[in-house]
Amino acid sequence: MKNGNVKEEGFSEQSLPRSNGTPVFDAPWQARAHALAVLSVESHGREWDDFRRHLIAAIADDDRRPYWESWVIALDAFIAECGVVA
Amino acid sequence: MGEGHHHPLPTTPVEDRVAALESLLVDKGILDPTAIDAVVEHYEHAVGPMNGAKVVARAWVDEAYRERLLADATAAIAELGFSGPEGDHMVVVQNTPEVHNAVVCTLCSCYPWPVLGLPPNWYKSPPYRSRMVREPRVLLAEMGCVVPEECEIRVWDSSAEVRYLVLPMRPAACDDLSEDKLAGLVTRDAMIGVARL
Repeated sequence: MKNGNVKEEGFSEQSLPRSNGTPVFDAPWQARAHALAVLSVESHGREWDDFRRHLIAAIADDDRRPYWESWVIALDAFIAECGVVA
Repeated sequence: MGEGHHHPLPTTPVEDRVAALESLLVDKGILDPTAIDAVVEHYEHAVGPMNGAKVVARAWVDEAYRERLLADATAAIAELGFSGPEGDHMVVVQNTPEVHNAVVCTLCSCYPWPVLGLPPNWYKSPPYRSRMVREPRVLLAEMGCVVPEECEIRVWDSSAEVRYLVLPMRPAACDDLSEDKLAGLVTRDAMIGVARL
């Protein structure tokens, strides 16, 4: 398989999904974090908006933090809100 | 590079956290690991801008479909088999010679997943989210999308319940193309409104 444009949007080359030639995820953990949010909303019978509120809060809290790190902070908060604790 | 020779990279705290959350949800019996794999697989292969391109091409060739799409986008998009999270309240905004539409999510990253897949990184970046509202014409030009001076730019904020999809104008001089070929002309960026076909 031919390598894509490594420099595009500053990402490193990985075998990750692409759309219009750019990766959807920068790393596999981001795809996992995305799926965990989608399924947690579903399995708790919640609305996507319930997760989105945490995502907006995490981004507002530090706009410079990498997006997917804010996503994980939101996921953490959402899961706790659903009463799931270790 | 061949398969089978990977140096394991050290994991980062955020990677560890995701792994820990996944274990927690699986161990508690809340999520099924195969379901997690299926969602990852789905967003890697089954959804993406090719879905939206089919919607746009259909609207170009089928006037009745275009009317349904503009009247109730969620239902018209479901007719082609596309639905799911972030696609429940779709609105399609139509470009015309007088109006160019562009989509942003000012607060986070809301985006119509069933028709466009997941958003590109620049869509989620603070400069795009603020400048698309403040100075859309300048930002669009910087992104290589020059909107004619006499054409109004309308910016739609996806941060409400609604997810927007731009219906680009059909390129001139492609009357003899099939619907499939037309779909091949439609780009993700044109459906966000940061490119013109």
